[in-house]
Amino acid sequence: MSRKKTKNDALYLSDRQPLTTAKLISLIISYILLIFWAFVILWPLAQIVMSSFNGNQGSYISIGGEYKFSLKHFTYLFNETYFWNWVLNTIVVAVATALLTLLIVSFTGYAYSRFRFSGRKASLMTIMLLQTVPTFAGITAFYTLHSIVAAVIPGFTRQLFLILIYAGGGIASNTFILKGYIDGVSTELDDAARIDGCGNLQVYRLIIMPIARPMLAIIALWSFIGPFLDYMMPSILLNDPKSYTLATGLHTLINDQYNMQQPAFAAGGLLTAIPIVILFIALQKELVSGLSSGAVKG
Amino acid sequence: MKVELVNIGKKYEGRESFTIRNIDLVIESNQFCVILGPSGCGKSTLLRMIAGLNSITEGDLLFDGKRMNRVEPKDREIAMVFQSYALYPHMTVYENMAFSLKMAKERKTLIHERVLEAAKTLQIEEYLYSKPSEISGGQRQRVALGRAMVRKPAVFLMDEPLSNLDAKLREHMRVELVRLHQALNTTSIYVTHDQTEAMTMADIIVLLDQGKVQQVGAPSEFYQEPANLFVAGFIGSPTMNIFNGRIENGLFRTENDLILVEPNEEDARKLKDYEGKEVCMGIRSERFNAGKAEKNGITVNIDVIEMLGKEQLLYCKFPDGQEVVISEPGHFEYGLNEDHNFNFDVDGLHFFDAETTMRI
Repeated sequence: MSRKKTKNDALYLSDRQPLTTAKLISLIISYILLIFWAFVILWPLAQIVMSSFNGNQGSYISIGGEYKFSLKHFTYLFNETYFWNWVLNTIVVAVATALLTLLIVSFTGYAYSRFRFSGRKASLMTIMLLQTVPTFAGITAFYTLHSIVAAVIPGFTRQLFLILIYAGGGIASNTFILKGYIDGVSTELDDAARIDGCGNLQVYRLIIMPIARPMLAIIALWSFIGPFLDYMMPSILLNDPKSYTLATGLHTLINDQYNMQQPAFAAGGLLTAIPIVILFIALQKELVSGLSSGAVKG
Repeated sequence: MKVELVNIGKKYEGRESFTIRNIDLVIESNQFCVILGPSGCGKSTLLRMIAGLNSITEGDLLFDGKRMNRVEPKDREIAMVFQSYALYPHMTVYENMAFSLKMAKERKTLIHERVLEAAKTLQIEEYLYSKPSEISGGQRQRVALGRAMVRKPAVFLMDEPLSNLDAKLREHMRVELVRLHQALNTTSIYVTHDQTEAMTMADIIVLLDQGKVQQVGAPSEFYQEPANLFVAGFIGSPTMNIFNGRIENGLFRTENDLILVEPNEEDARKLKDYEGKEVCMGIRSERFNAGKAEKNGITVNIDVIEMLGKEQLLYCKFPDGQEVVISEPGHFEYGLNEDHNFNFDVDGLHFFDAETTMRI
């Protein structure tokens, strides 16, 4: 064992050039910076986790002091607030947003990548430029639109409208991303599928979509996460606390003195991460796989 | 199936001129037709029009006399093998081969039967349940062929199917493709830029350049009787030597008087009308005889020697710098910068009208 070690020590096996003193110093500096950066990110997270389980925390989170393990903040969250409503609302909105985005982006991405039509470039530029206007700027228009539609279709709730806003907001950039990915898939595959008897939609569904799965998984994940993170739109659009999404709902725990419950907010924040992590793990295989290898010569 | 192209032309959207135009061609049933041409001559476009992947701008495409212009690719009874193989990466070899039949809603047992049959012919039974990414280039090529075979197509289209294989495998697949063609009893249309593939595989070659058919015929005709200067220069390796000159008193004479050739009787008869006119004379490298002769001889200086074993290619220069390639048996001894005498084999000469570039 020790002989083997000395042998390895004697041979320099790395592919890189050996470090000079200057390089070593810069390497140490980079590590210090990275560790500092990691600390800046991880320390608040650690505080959230710790505070949410600390029975000694009052309405306000205070750092330091006694630590006593307790689940009382979670109990408070489950019993004294609409937490489960918010979870359900968020998941419904997030899933619907993800599915709707996938559906629309599938069509637009495929069309922009594979078909030549007049106005193709212009329309692509237009939706990209429109994207630079923040969604929030359209808030008055959203109000008006909603009242018009709701007058015709009574079942059209503000939550449904929220889904449309989220899905619509993601279409432009996701179309670009998916178009770029599909551009990289050889059109000979389309030709082959067409000769094998596929129509346009079948070419997409049976050939392109399975190949583009890694990218579709990323798009789904992003659209799913969006509603979990957004506080602004639901807080303005939704008026009943029961219909809030998680971000907006949890915010009620810290935005005024009467309801102030910071540790419960931390506990809620912790639980919010769970569905996202589950989805991430479920999609992990898709996210890392490069399915298109072997399609053409390689 | 008999494939007929009547005055076919293609103009792409947004282009000024036709990519190919006025193509008339008849490919008889069960023929192996090779469409040959340099890159960008429109040969792939022509094949894609036959496949139905590109629309036909003008003219008619007839399969056994039936007009096919507006028929969907899947209904044309064709199968196509692509340059990149275009295997579906997310499906196994078996699924790849079964896909077209599945789309046609054939019975499962029939699909299984056909796939196994094709796999057996192509010796890919071992890989049936591998993904395309797990098998080698040569095997992918076979899968692509298999995918085409299971459809039992009436017309087999191939778009440079061998260009991604290494030289040894390519040689092997050439023979196999011909064998496959004979076994399948189909009409095959094969696009390539490689003249060796064309010469070795084809029953009939169509040489395209700049969107026009330059010559149609059997491989030997291309070599022995090129229809024009382009064909003469394209077919054969090394490239045919072409000399510019004029006919004077029945003799071919170059501008600088370094070459003076007396054509044989048949050529002389054809050249009668060209007395005093500019013509080009072509001769292949192997039609030079070594040694000094009374007439039709040249003296050249050897510049570069390429030894190929059974023969050697001598890249020679005339005193005025004009180049000529001569091939001689490998056991002859030549040295660089030596002057040597050669003479023309007058039966191996080709004469072309310098103005129209057509064969005389």
